[in-house]
Amino acid sequence: MVPLEYYLLLSSAIFCIGLFGILTRRNALYFLMSVELMMNAAILNLVAFSFHWGNLTGQTFALFAIALAAAEVAVGIGIILALYRNFGDIDVMEAATMRW
Amino acid sequence: MAFDFVPAIVLLPFVSFLVALFFGKKMPKRGAYGGIVATAGALAVSIWVLLSVRGGNVHEVTYYTWATGVGDQPWELTFGALIDPLSSLMLVIVTLIALLVHVFSLGYMNDEGETDLPRYYAGLGLFTASMLGFVIADNLLMAFMFFELVGLCSFLLIGFWYRRDAPPSAAKKAFLVTRFGDYFFLIGVVAVFTTFGTAAFAGPESFPALAEQALNGNFDVWTPGDLGVETWFTIIGLLILGGVIGKSAQFPLHTWLPDAMQGPTPVSALIHAATMVAAGVYLVARMYGFYVLTPTTMAIIALVGGFTALFAATMGVVKKEIKQVLAYSTISQYGYMMLALGAGSYVAATFHLMTHAFFKALLFLGAGAVIIAMHHNENMWDMGGLKDKMPVTYLTFLAGSLALAGIAPFSGFWSKDEILYEAFIHGLNDPILLAGWVMGLLAVPVTAFYTFRMVFLTFHGNPRTETARNPEPLGWNVKGPLSVLGVLAVVAGFVNMVPVQKLTGIELDYLTQWLDSGAEGLTYSGYNALLAEYAGYEAGVVAGSETTTLLIAAGLGLGLAVVGVLVALALYNVDEPVEHTDKLGDAKTVLYNNYYQDEFQVWLSARTQDVAGGADTFDQGVVDGVVNGVSSVSLVSGDRIRRIQTGIVGNYALLLTLGLTALLVVFGLLGGWFV
Repeated sequence: MVPLEYYLLLSSAIFCIGLFGILTRRNALYFLMSVELMMNAAILNLVAFSFHWGNLTGQTFALFAIALAAAEVAVGIGIILALYRNFGDIDVMEAATMRW
Repeated sequence: MAFDFVPAIVLLPFVSFLVALFFGKKMPKRGAYGGIVATAGALAVSIWVLLSVRGGNVHEVTYYTWATGVGDQPWELTFGALIDPLSSLMLVIVTLIALLVHVFSLGYMNDEGETDLPRYYAGLGLFTASMLGFVIADNLLMAFMFFELVGLCSFLLIGFWYRRDAPPSAAKKAFLVTRFGDYFFLIGVVAVFTTFGTAAFAGPESFPALAEQALNGNFDVWTPGDLGVETWFTIIGLLILGGVIGKSAQFPLHTWLPDAMQGPTPVSALIHAATMVAAGVYLVARMYGFYVLTPTTMAIIALVGGFTALFAATMGVVKKEIKQVLAYSTISQYGYMMLALGAGSYVAATFHLMTHAFFKALLFLGAGAVIIAMHHNENMWDMGGLKDKMPVTYLTFLAGSLALAGIAPFSGFWSKDEILYEAFIHGLNDPILLAGWVMGLLAVPVTAFYTFRMVFLTFHGNPRTETARNPEPLGWNVKGPLSVLGVLAVVAGFVNMVPVQKLTGIELDYLTQWLDSGAEGLTYSGYNALLAEYAGYEAGVVAGSETTTLLIAAGLGLGLAVVGVLVALALYNVDEPVEHTDKLGDAKTVLYNNYYQDEFQVWLSARTQDVAGGADTFDQGVVDGVVNGVSSVSLVSGDRIRRIQTGIVGNYALLLTLGLTALLVVFGLLGGWFV
């Protein structure tokens, strides 16, 4: 049986990849994908702990989170479309008009 | 039963104020009838209350508690009424004068075609209501609040003709000068609360009663530092006296009163006879139980009173305007009342307050009648010979003048004689009171002289101008109030003919008995006992017997008054009087300029400008500076910190990440994860 630590290491690795993507990329689509990666890292944690303690609650919760992620993508794509319409680009550094 | 209607006495004039203010334009006579009905109703209730008080029937009630303290200071701030012989008598005086002034205003204001009258009648209504509220007050704080309202109303009414130059400035002066005194009064009220925890006037838990126990050592009071109880009580008494000196126009805060003559004459009558100026003396009488405990305060009251009586009387001698003469006589007469209070004669002060209210209201309304007849010319040198043209005014004015001059048997004689007698017998054992008595006595011939100078210049001799030859006729609304007051000025003195009682043995001291019938601790004999115990007042006699003392005192007073009248008769009761005042030389200039008191006050305020400037700098710099400093810190830091909101999503993500990392490190270090 795979020990819990392996899952957690994998999860944190995916999380860090996602975080790295958010901090370095300027393309909004990359942003969205990175957010998905971080979210999935969290879901992986839920499943891993659920498996470890022999309790199904975590897995049920993971299913809900996956559905939520799908909804989030829909909203995210919508935002990116609006971004493109307003700024003619999907570079997140361009959309900097909402400040002091 | 009658006591249930006590609030109505205050509320009726207040309603007339509201009605005149909001509906005055639509009312017949611009609200005058409303005011007359309201004050007549208040007078009726007051008389009923007065009759119910008979036989020691005192009524004390709390209507409304508007604030209650917590913790160490369980004080209750209340509105209530204290109806005892003193306040019920005052209620009748105030409502009666207010009623007559309202009626007289019909002739002085409406018939003379004044505009903007709803404001005038609203002012009169509120003035009457505030004074009545002050009279029924059962605690010092409530008294203070109505005291301030009285001051506000006098401001509004003195400045009634606000389009002219002089009235607004006179109104401001009256407001500021009395407010200067009230400032000390306010501190005094706070001091009373801090010291006793109550400001009630009557009852075993009242502050005069607690003060007496504290002096006996039976009650612990708060005093600042290790100040002695009696010294502290003297300071409190003097602080409250500040308000009294301002309102009752005593030296050195009397300067507002002559200027207040800029107001309409009926208002002057109201201010001088029943409200405003009377408030100060009434306040001392109301809390007399507190003042009698401190001999120093009593001595100061007597000295201030005696000095003011003489000082103001001398200025009245040279004035040209009829109302100015009356203004100085008012200051002088209130000086007598203060002298009486200081000399320990509560009854004499109340007695003079009453007779003065009648004869001074009469004189002012009489002067108002003369002013109507003279087409608003107030200069006595333009009058003369009016007695044949206006007999009602002449006869009533003469009655008032005889009362003011203190000629027997007119009302003023009895009250003034009692004041001088009391000051004299107590002064025999106390040089300060004796000094007060001497000054009061010296003021008697001066008073008689200027009063009759005024009468002769106005009514006797040949008419000196065309207007005086054909004065304007007067209506019933002028003659009516004059006649009522004329009768009162003659007979009011008969309620307390103490000298006659002492000589003949017939019981004639009704007012003394009346003021002796109130609640325990608020009676004349109660005060006398306290006076003897704490202030060491003791009546002395000359030539061995009380009768001789009495005769000497009364004879001196009456004799000097007659001398004053005779001098005026010789100098001014001629066909073509001349200005004898010129013979006074430089003294005339000094007197005519009121001893340069106004100039002195202006000079003083110019000298103290730096203090005021310093206070202003402190206020602007330190007090406001702290507030402004706090706000500018927020402003500047907000201006800087908002720069982190760049609008770039990547920056926010970075901040979030750094923040999370920082939190993890902090929790890690505190939680010992790295050990």
